[in-house]
Amino acid sequence: MGPTGFLARGVALAAVLAAVGLTTGGRVLAQQEPFYAAAYVSELPTDPRSPVWGRAAASEVPLIPQAGILPALTQASVPKVTVRALYDGERLAILMSWQDRTRDALSGRPDLFRDGAAIMFPVTEGLPNVCMGAAGQVTNLWHWKADWQEDIDKGFQDVVDHYPNFYKDVYPFVTGSPPYRMPQDFSAPEAQAYLAGLSAGNPLSQPLKSSPVEELVSQGFGTATHKAAQNVSGQGVWTDGTWRVMFSRSLKAADQEAADLQGRKQVAVAFAVWDGSNQEVGARKQLSSFLTLAVGEETNQMPVWLWGVFAAIAAATVWLGWPALVRRSPRE
Amino acid sequence: MPKVFNWHINREMEYPYPATPPTRQFAAVFDTNKCIACQTCSMICKNAWTSGRGQEYMWWNNVETKPYGGFPQGWDMKVLSLLGPQSWDRGTNTYTGMTLIESALAAAQGRQVTGYLPEDAEWGNVNIGEDEAVGLIEGGTSFGLPHPVWSFYLQRICNHCSYPACLASCPRKAIYKREEDGIVLVDQERCRGYRECVRACPFKKVMYNVATRVSEKCVACFPRVEQGLQPFCTIGCPGRIRINGWIHSPQEADLESPVDFLVHGRKVALPLYPQFGLMNHIYYVPPIHVPPEYLRQMFGPAVDRAMENYRQVKDDPEMLGVFMLMGATDRWIEKFRVVQGEAVGYDAKGDEIARVPLKEPVVVRPNFDPVLTVYRHNTM
Ligand code: SF4
Ligand code: SF4
Ligand code: SF4
Repeated sequence: MGPTGFLARGVALAAVLAAVGLTTGGRVLAQQEPFYAAAYVSELPTDPRSPVWGRAAASEVPLIPQAGILPALTQASVPKVTVRALYDGERLAILMSWQDRTRDALSGRPDLFRDGAAIMFPVTEGLPNVCMGAAGQVTNLWHWKADWQEDIDKGFQDVVDHYPNFYKDVYPFVTGSPPYRMPQDFSAPEAQAYLAGLSAGNPLSQPLKSSPVEELVSQGFGTATHKAAQNVSGQGVWTDGTWRVMFSRSLKAADQEAADLQGRKQVAVAFAVWDGSNQEVGARKQLSSFLTLAVGEETNQMPVWLWGVFAAIAAATVWLGWPALVRRSPRE
Repeated sequence: MPKVFNWHINREMEYPYPATPPTRQFAAVFDTNKCIACQTCSMICKNAWTSGRGQEYMWWNNVETKPYGGFPQGWDMKVLSLLGPQSWDRGTNTYTGMTLIESALAAAQGRQVTGYLPEDAEWGNVNIGEDEAVGLIEGGTSFGLPHPVWSFYLQRICNHCSYPACLASCPRKAIYKREEDGIVLVDQERCRGYRECVRACPFKKVMYNVATRVSEKCVACFPRVEQGLQPFCTIGCPGRIRINGWIHSPQEADLESPVDFLVHGRKVALPLYPQFGLMNHIYYVPPIHVPPEYLRQMFGPAVDRAMENYRQVKDDPEMLGVFMLMGATDRWIEKFRVVQGEAVGYDAKGDEIARVPLKEPVVVRPNFDPVLTVYRHNTM
């Protein structure tokens, strides 16, 4: 299969998934049939391992590898994620848990990639393209990063943490003594000039983080932008091959770029997971289609797996059926 | 995918963006025959640009001994084997194989460009293979051309390609090519450390900063270029093997400009692995003692003629003039001329910035210096 063949197959798959997302999501939104509901609790848990999460119904959300654009994920490593949601009238908390045999929490080596998880909400009216929105279709992303979590839990994971035997005698304008520590020993303005990403104001280069969740706004692939205001908190814990990652934010949107969840009984959400040891980063991820989350109302639990199965069958049909379809065309 | 024309391979090729050539294109010629592998170029670049936290392993400029040296280790062999068989039509110097973007493997990898991400250890031990020749010198071996036992030094910086693989692979469009000089840069604010570019660049000249967690690359010393100065690695070279200039297409060649003159005029300098399809702009004078089979793989079928032409240098005052102007000034030589046994370099305003004799004068100093009343010895 040539590059165009692969691309065409990916595009067809993406189109079908988008259609599945739109019809299922759209229909559910229209008919007020939520996939799953956030359970009310008087006090939200702060730990992803808290037993309070048991009060929320668990929904299994199927994930498929992103194959619509390049770079694509050619093989899925995480086929599903379990989602639970709680709210206390003020804030919404969502727990994502999935199986991952490797805990990839370091990214300070050229060949190491972190694990990650993200939730996407539409900001503008209607259902956006599931591929992070499109021009005019604004989405709000909450992106938890395992390496940020590690930086918060253990302090900035510096060169010395990745390379324990590391030694370098001097750096321009450094203070302190070898092997030195970021950021304190590199805080002189002249020393910061040698940290190009940091001096350019790149949030990814910021050694000190206040939350492991980055809040972004996006209008399609390649456009994710760090929001001026960061309001999502979270925590991720890996135990025995399972990541449990929680996100929480006030229902009320703090600004125009954030999804407003207050008063909206039904909210569209989509999920994504990255496995660092499979070199998953950026668009190389697995994602769900749009699902509906009900906040603040009684719900009849629609089995989410039903829609998941629907999406999976549609995806498999296109993916596997494509070569046959192409073979039949007289051009090839 | 749009089609663009690449004169290095004499044909159109696929590239994800239409061609938007810059007003002028940064380039350099490196004469591999004169390099002494002193690594002054590597050190000057490191001092200037990569002495910060997270850049410890980076060598935006490196000099490796061929055939075994490489930074990262084995980069060339890995990329060549990923690309598979590469064929040329030798009559027309047209590359008939696939480029890294056209290769079916790119799509199979789910990528825009065929490539690989080096493992951490491959970036370490930068000197492995240094000064190792292809074999041992057996008893009875004599030197002829090409040398039966050979090695040579390959000086490598980013090529500031016309069709950069790094730029093509970045889903965030964080890499850009400057309109004013063709220099390729990673936007330090936009990059999110995905390392698609590190994987895609076959020359492995984008590197991931392990402290700022975003990617960085050779910046062609752009603050110097903007002031009419040549990059640090060019001016620091004691072997005087490098010269910078603007490169044009063969049709638009300006033979008064030193780089165009060597590439298009005398055809002695060639791009490295043109079959990758990047239209890369560091041009090498091939090492004339190395077997041409090896060099054809590196520089394409035009290498035989380049070696032949280079051998004429002592009888070609103009060509000799450009080689003598290498390392003669820290300024960017826009034009050169050879007048009465001297090579003269001019800046953009036409002012003279360098003047060197084609032949260094021979000075014989007497054994006794009457001024200092000392004897000079030529040994210590
Ligand atoms: S400074 Fe010049 S001679 Fe020395 S290694 Fe670099 S290119 Fe070669
Ligand atoms: S040599 Fe590599 S890093 Fe430099 S412009 Fe070309 S593809 Fe990009
Ligand atoms: S051009 Fe400048 S930045 Fe690039 S390798 Fe040479 S010295 Fe380093």
